Amino acid sequence: MKKIGCVLLFLLCISSTAYAKFDIQEAIDRAEPGAVINIPAGYYKGNLIVTKNITLRGEKGTEIAAVGEKPAIRIEGADAVMIDNMTLSGKKGIVASEVEGLALRQLKINDVHSAVHIQHGENVHIQHVEIVGTQAHYSKKGNGIAIYQSEKIVVEDSNIKHVQDGIYVEEVDGIVVQRNTVENSRYGTHFMYTENAKALNNTYASNVTGLMVMMTSGITIKDNVVIHHNDMNGSGALLYDVQRADLAFNTMKNNRTAIALQKSAEVQIMHNHFQMNQTAIEGTKVDDQTVVENNQFTGNILTARSDQQGYRLSSNYYDDYVGTDLKNNGTGDVPYVAVSSFGQWMVQQPVYQYFVASPSVVLLTSLDQQINKSARTVLVDETPKLMKDQSVKKVDMDIAQFLLGLFFILSSVWLWKRGLME
Amino acid sequence: MKKWILIICVSCLLAVGCSEKTFKPRDIVNETDVCKVCNMSIVHNEYAGQIALKNGDYEMFDDIGCLIEYIAANGDEEVGAAFIKDAKENKWIDVSKATFVYNKDYWTPMNYGVLAFETQEAAQSWMTTEGKGQVLTYEDLSDFNWGIHQ
Repeated sequence: MKKIGCVLLFLLCISSTAYAKFDIQEAIDRAEPGAVINIPAGYYKGNLIVTKNITLRGEKGTEIAAVGEKPAIRIEGADAVMIDNMTLSGKKGIVASEVEGLALRQLKINDVHSAVHIQHGENVHIQHVEIVGTQAHYSKKGNGIAIYQSEKIVVEDSNIKHVQDGIYVEEVDGIVVQRNTVENSRYGTHFMYTENAKALNNTYASNVTGLMVMMTSGITIKDNVVIHHNDMNGSGALLYDVQRADLAFNTMKNNRTAIALQKSAEVQIMHNHFQMNQTAIEGTKVDDQTVVENNQFTGNILTARSDQQGYRLSSNYYDDYVGTDLKNNGTGDVPYVAVSSFGQWMVQQPVYQYFVASPSVVLLTSLDQQINKSARTVLVDETPKLMKDQSVKKVDMDIAQFLLGLFFILSSVWLWKRGLME
Repeated sequence: MKKWILIICVSCLLAVGCSEKTFKPRDIVNETDVCKVCNMSIVHNEYAGQIALKNGDYEMFDDIGCLIEYIAANGDEEVGAAFIKDAKENKWIDVSKATFVYNKDYWTPMNYGVLAFETQEAAQSWMTTEGKGQVLTYEDLSDFNWGIHQ
């Protein structure tokens, strides 16, 4: 009995939280501009306020927990502040306003409602931030990294999950979002009223929508992997009221709709891989400068659907193309027709998506492709590509292996014959 | 006796048939409701709107601007009733009877900066508290320049 008591007492002692004694706020208040404050490892509770140019650097095991509704760290009207190498928890992580040259590095922000909120920032650099939200529906959560009315922003090498929007960007001029991973959230990255944005080499997985781009002009979306967005209202990327967008070299796989375009103009979709999506590209109210060119479509149920305006398909590879290439120039002899009556209906009534793979719909789509071959209509690729690298590979023969195999075969035949003779 | 029962039944049917159909707002389902216009999922319920169509369907909106855009594009012939959330009370109110307050600094899901209130007094009280704002009527919204304002 005593032993059990001792064990329980020991467990109680090691599980209790040890609060560190270093007074961070006092150190901040006393610090000269440009100072570096090293925060010893330990668990700190409080709501820090930074209003001058300093660096807060933690050690392994430094954690600051916010108290109440206020953030763990508030930065106001300060230039060149750096927050480095620590864990933050509580309802809000970092809130910064009127800042220039802010750097947030090597941070872990756990179980927060909203992790990083920046308003009126310039030259902000966020890198290596790990954010994990709470386990609740996304309507009950805040955003991972939210940036408002700012310019010249970089968000990179960060991992975010279980929040509302992983990276929310509103009214920002000049932002690069690269090498981040966002999972299990509402939107991976959400751009609104933004100009000159780049989303490069990110991975978006299992969100409602990977990339939500709204009322934005001048955006490059390149080399991203966008997978598993197959919620009823989900899309790999949704562009609403967007002007001048380039989507290139992205892998869009297993999404309900890989790319959805609405009210958008001058969108270039090139060199992307669309694999196993329910619908690869959907467009409504898209201008005639929008081009889908040199992409690969494999294993998608519907390649393209649109309203009457359509958009231009050119030189794409389609795995369901059944034409020939008698000229052997890598381009099909007859056009590829992506028109699908059912696809057009699905644009009007999204609930029809649940019948998309039914036998009658498959038959209807096949009929569409046969009937519309000669018709001049929307969603027709006049120059569909065929896979060029399908030529027979030169077989490398291993002579020794061949001779050994031949020896065993001849030996087997000889033994078999000998057995028959006896 | 049978004759009287027949008369009563017919009268009831006529009364039901002739009465004006009433349209009520429905609750938002955060898991599935998306804005009919911009496709954003509705997570900020306090700014949401909805239209009850005469055929019994509902169209949901994340922002008053999207609701007005829908009516402008589709007309109001099929609209049974339109509702918007009161920004202060978070309850459904009739769009056509609401008072609106605009300021570019008011955040809404589409950042249009227009909030709805059930009464003029509530709108005035909001503006007094916030120290800014401009009153708009429902009729003003059809000519309003929806978009972000610098």
